[in-house]
Amino acid sequence: MLEFLLALLTTATVGALLWPLLSRSLDRRDRLEGELAIYRDQLAELERERAAGTVPESEAAAGRIEIERRMLVAGDAAAGVRPLAASEAWQKWLPPALSLFVPLLALGLYLQVGRPGLPAAPFAERPAGQHPAPPQLDVGRLLSEARARLEQDPEDADALAALGEGLTLEAGGTVTQPAIEALRRALQARPDDPRILYYLGLHEAQSGDSRAAIARWRDLEAKSPPDAPWLGVLRAEIARVARAAGLEVPQASQSAMPQPNREQQEAMAQLAPEQRQQAIRSMVEGLAARLADNPQDRAGWLRLANAWKVLGDNEKAADAYGRADTLGPVDARILTDWAEAHVRQLAPGAAPSPQAVAVLERLEKAEPRNALALFYLGLAAEAQGNKPAALQRWKTLLALLPADAPIRGLVEERIRAAGGG
Amino acid sequence: MRRLLFVLPLLTLALMAGFFAWSLTSGRDPASIGSVAAGRPAPKLDLPALRPGDPPLTDADLRTGKPVIVNFFASWCTPCLAEHPLFTRLGEREGAAIVGIAWKNKRDDALPWLKKLGDPYKLAGLDLDGKTGLDWGLSGVPETYLIDGSGIVRRHFRGPITERDLNETILPFLKGAVK
Repeated sequence: MLEFLLALLTTATVGALLWPLLSRSLDRRDRLEGELAIYRDQLAELERERAAGTVPESEAAAGRIEIERRMLVAGDAAAGVRPLAASEAWQKWLPPALSLFVPLLALGLYLQVGRPGLPAAPFAERPAGQHPAPPQLDVGRLLSEARARLEQDPEDADALAALGEGLTLEAGGTVTQPAIEALRRALQARPDDPRILYYLGLHEAQSGDSRAAIARWRDLEAKSPPDAPWLGVLRAEIARVARAAGLEVPQASQSAMPQPNREQQEAMAQLAPEQRQQAIRSMVEGLAARLADNPQDRAGWLRLANAWKVLGDNEKAADAYGRADTLGPVDARILTDWAEAHVRQLAPGAAPSPQAVAVLERLEKAEPRNALALFYLGLAAEAQGNKPAALQRWKTLLALLPADAPIRGLVEERIRAAGGG
Repeated sequence: MRRLLFVLPLLTLALMAGFFAWSLTSGRDPASIGSVAAGRPAPKLDLPALRPGDPPLTDADLRTGKPVIVNFFASWCTPCLAEHPLFTRLGEREGAAIVGIAWKNKRDDALPWLKKLGDPYKLAGLDLDGKTGLDWGLSGVPETYLIDGSGIVRRHFRGPITERDLNETILPFLKGAVK
């Protein structure tokens, strides 16, 4: 519809331009002929009037001389311009040619580079869900919650990290001094927390130590699982800071986990599910073999543990977490994964193994309100005959669970079976 | 005479084109207005303290025998926010003596700003009416002066300091390498 209107408008404009240009196209010689015809008519009329006696003889003679003089002038004028005839044709045809050429050129160009078939997408009609706005972090709430939790426990690492993040966001992305202090305190309890490491690196970048920032972030990148949601942002930030500081953008470090290249990924997508599983398993086993040769690679062990857990081999996963832990104590997030790898090996209702209990107890110490730890340590206590300890954990868990949690029934049943509630 | 009048616009155009060509090719930085302060003794400093209870700032604070960094800032100034982490680091990690001067900034605005971002200043003054800024040849905020132990201004940065300024000038200056 719009195209049609535009074409109509262009046609009207070109027409309005062409009309006067072409109608002025009378040749000078045609004009001379016209002028002479008028003068001849005037002469004939003068003759008729003289014959009828309405004009005196002397006046008629003067009039004829005047008309004949004008005829001579017109003839001279026409003769004077005649040599210019060639350039006259040029002048005559150039404006209409131009007024046609410009819209035709525009049309050709549009057909060449434009996309006439593309449907219109007015802003008002665009569905809101097409470009969802990124969920805005409510800085005020983040801060007030973190402060409330710190009032309860001034060393709550998670709340300290949240406070650092909140203060930074509140200052428009500048990592402020109070934020740094909170983050540094949080780091002592959580040396592996990606959020803390990210913001500490950001401060280093903002305070003119881009090298330290990039080193910290590279380290975080190497420690992160390959599917970590923050990797994209992290890599973009590394590239941005490196560029701003005029440093060479570092190539992604060779991660311990082999990343399949594009062809390999495509080839893998062609495989049947069992074969694909087989191919992934062989890659993971390759990583395990390399780690057997180089057992000091803590990030590699964590990656391997994650891979085994994803593949469902929880025993090997738990073992790999243990190897990583001996090289450097893991933080609460990894403890949760580790504990999960342990308890997934259990038969339903069975008590956790001593190794699992050790991990769960560490998890409970790091996060006293961790549901996984509360539930399974309750099972362990019950198996040892310590029913009050089991009941206490399960009742704590029940109080923490939301009212619609599916696991509630199971916990309540356990409490009843143990003679409580 | 009439002809000459017609040539006049052409002549003006040629003059302007010549000036622009020279500006573009001579490597002149049109944003740089230089500094009269650099290389001379630091201008007079006589300001009330920004933080309540602190002693006022005087010339003696700039002639301590040790290098001093003087930074004019304001809470309403966005580039000041951007350079602030650099001063945080200078104060915290390099132990630099930094004098902060809140320029045309109310105390009730400047103090919460420093509380929020952290206060890296060893001394902080308040130049509410901007008169000290005038003496110092300030064109706006942020601006930063490096003053050696004898009170001579060695460098004058107009605009926020950057990582490059820090690594190439300020850190060597603090070690006594910049004269």
